[in-house]
Amino acid sequence: MILKQPFSRRELLKFAGGAVAVVGTVTWAGNVLLPEAAVAAPGDPDLYLAGTDGWIFLPKTPAIPPFHPDVLAPDPFTTYIFGFRNVTGLSDIQRSNQKNKAQHSAPLFWANQFDPAHPADFKVQLTNLGLALRPDLFDAHTLHWHGFRNVIPFFDGEPTGSVAVPTGRIFTYVYRPREPGTYMFHCHVEDVEHVHMGMTGLVFVRPLQDGNTSLYPSGKYMYNDGNGSTGFDREFAMFLSEVWAESHWADAHIQLPEWSDYRADFSLLNGRVYPDTIAPNAPIVAGQSIHALAVETDANGDLVAPAGHPELQYQPHSSLVNCNAGEKVALRFANLGFREQAMTLAGIRMRVVGRDATPMRGRDGTDTSYETETINIGPGESFDVVFTAPAHSGSGYDTYMLYNRNYLRANNLAPGGFGGQATEIRVYAPGGVAPQAYPNDWGV
Amino acid sequence: MMRGNAVMHGKTRTRSLRRPALLVALTLVWATMATFTPAATAETPPRVGIACTTGVGGGATSPIFNLTTKTGYISLPDGNTAFMWGYSSGFGAFQHPGPVLCVNAGDTVTVILHNTLPEAASIVFPGQANVLANGTPAQPQPTGAGAITSLTNTAAAGGGTITYSFLAANPGTFLYESGTNPEKQVRMGLFGALIVRPSAVPTGGAAGSTAGEYAYNRADSRFNPSEEFMVLLSEIDPYQHQAVEGGKAFNMNNYHPRYWLINGRGFPDSIADNGASWLPSQPYGALAQVGEFDRAAATADQPGMARYLNVGTEDYPFHPHGNNGLVVGRDGRPLEGTGGEDLSFEKFAINIGPGQTWDVIFKWYDAEGYDPVTNPVPVTVPQMANQEIGVFYSGSPYLGTKETLPPGIQSVNQCGEYYIISHNHALFQITSWGTNMTGPITYMRIDPPTPNNCG
Repeated sequence: MILKQPFSRRELLKFAGGAVAVVGTVTWAGNVLLPEAAVAAPGDPDLYLAGTDGWIFLPKTPAIPPFHPDVLAPDPFTTYIFGFRNVTGLSDIQRSNQKNKAQHSAPLFWANQFDPAHPADFKVQLTNLGLALRPDLFDAHTLHWHGFRNVIPFFDGEPTGSVAVPTGRIFTYVYRPREPGTYMFHCHVEDVEHVHMGMTGLVFVRPLQDGNTSLYPSGKYMYNDGNGSTGFDREFAMFLSEVWAESHWADAHIQLPEWSDYRADFSLLNGRVYPDTIAPNAPIVAGQSIHALAVETDANGDLVAPAGHPELQYQPHSSLVNCNAGEKVALRFANLGFREQAMTLAGIRMRVVGRDATPMRGRDGTDTSYETETINIGPGESFDVVFTAPAHSGSGYDTYMLYNRNYLRANNLAPGGFGGQATEIRVYAPGGVAPQAYPNDWGV
Repeated sequence: MMRGNAVMHGKTRTRSLRRPALLVALTLVWATMATFTPAATAETPPRVGIACTTGVGGGATSPIFNLTTKTGYISLPDGNTAFMWGYSSGFGAFQHPGPVLCVNAGDTVTVILHNTLPEAASIVFPGQANVLANGTPAQPQPTGAGAITSLTNTAAAGGGTITYSFLAANPGTFLYESGTNPEKQVRMGLFGALIVRPSAVPTGGAAGSTAGEYAYNRADSRFNPSEEFMVLLSEIDPYQHQAVEGGKAFNMNNYHPRYWLINGRGFPDSIADNGASWLPSQPYGALAQVGEFDRAAATADQPGMARYLNVGTEDYPFHPHGNNGLVVGRDGRPLEGTGGEDLSFEKFAINIGPGQTWDVIFKWYDAEGYDPVTNPVPVTVPQMANQEIGVFYSGSPYLGTKETLPPGIQSVNQCGEYYIISHNHALFQITSWGTNMTGPITYMRIDPPTPNNCG
């Protein structure tokens, strides 16, 4: 055994247990199981997330009796979830109020690429508010940043190889993101269940090249491309997930689903199904959206619903893409459903510039980016695409559909009509929409 | 004992530096023989990593393999067992999946199939050209009524034999599987992996390196042969297996997998050693035991290599935590342009389709170099009572450090090693007919720098 540390007080337990021989000598240092002081004083986290349960809205008809809509759902909601909330800046009382008020998809957040010249840790604190509807459960939660390279198990959030956060406790994950691109995150505890129940979201890393306006006028890029090929004017997260109504109902009703019977009854884009996907974002406090979309909260710390959509109170993220003709638009796709998706943009070619937080380049620099209308994106995969908004014709805006070409996942089980993983891309005449203040901002 | 046939012992043809290759000596027999000899010798396989079966006979470049179809049972993570068909190595006991056949590019490979099943069976070798069956080009078998019964020539039911041969022209990872009623026979387990290694160090390869350190005939496909692993992904519908065992028909319209496996095992069996005694018919583990990649010695240290194969019916999105694998080849071909351009790509989701193989080079290192004394994690570690402790956790954030865990907490951590998970991310598939967090899950185990006490 290599003990890098001087013999710690915890090793005393080995003596107490008598089962393990320990090399070294030690004096009694007080009670075991005390916190270990870090050398560096932890500052405020950049982001504070909470895991809990809650309710969201999916179209009530056609029903899937007895699973959907759930009879236990408080009006106007339909579906029980587990999820995250952004509780940054809330008071202790406000934060504890958020039990049973989870959202889906999880709060969109982002970080800047670690800059060795100006080193700064990116810290995400996680607390576990418990499950209001299932007080019999004592599930821990974690934050797993899916795709983060060379992470130590301690910060990976995979609970068997490290630790998880029990109800009422906190843990801080520290990241130095060295590779820009689009990732995703989720709770990894009992992850068949916790992922499907909704503890999933999208995270991306901005490249160090950002701010360089010589390669692309906006100075905004997806990667450190060196040539502006990943520059964009607007960016939109497109997070893909699914709801199997029976399993959500089962968790609410103290049942266990048979997971090999899995089916995607609803396919979600940023936590909603079309046409809810084109409903507004919840009110966003742009000035506080430094590392995550900061949804406006009320005096109790609860989310303020999107204008005119009280049923979408816990589904704050819009997927509507507004842009001006000629602009470059970045779409960041990540899929944490359990099925492969076939996202099609009809009428506009997309250029795939990155996959799995990796620019499309061979090791010798060969450009492997490509144009397509459809990206087939498997569970756990991410795609970064850029398209150029075509010339504007007609009055108002031109509409292009972005949808799952697997039509089983581009409907809401209703006969006829689009639904599910679908949204609209609206192209205005130049100057028609204002610059974005935050990702997925409509600019109006 | 055999009528005039030489009995030849297999020799290892792998370049495994630190681990003895699985040495299953195959008795050289001819297709016409009526009786069989047991394998002459069988050495202990390496504990982890690819356990190669090597051919015998015919000279250094003409390996011969005997495979025998047999029936048996495998253990599943929920406590169930499944009746299986399998290709046995030589004339040995039933095993699942079939033996990992390791040859070199340029070899003329002979595979003699001995069929003990109650119906005709065969082997197809996707990715190999000009396969011969009993010396003539292998052909689909027509019924005479406009359909086919097999994708290739068969060995007759109940003792038939057939001899396939081909030139293994290209390095890479390949499947071999039944071409006869494959929707039944492949699902029952008639499949395995074929690994073809380069025959020479590629142009531009490092001085002193050997051919087996390369995945392809490219200098940039080098890896550490002692960190080479197989990720063979499959699935089982227990009702199909029950029907076959009972001699009943099975309607493929009702096909519905309930188990998903890695190297023929489900987690936690998947991380048991190769040849674990309690898994007598499932010889292949999937634990990827590696050392921390030494960035300071990049020219001396080489990354690991994972050979992915999918014998299932749909894409499997396999997600290794903590690293982006570099996909250097697919389906036994390097990812390169016509001018030799490098078209490899990094992935954190290996989304592998049915029948595909992906060759993925990977490495792991602590990017921040955390150390309890000189570079502690920049956060207060909560007291243990405020954390839920994982069964593989050492009690410490640091590689090589092990701390005592609270009373009542069990950990299997040996020496402060890290465990970083890899798993299928179609998460309903990491279940076993009701038992969650099983199925195709394995770990990358990172050992502390040597000398260590990991055993």
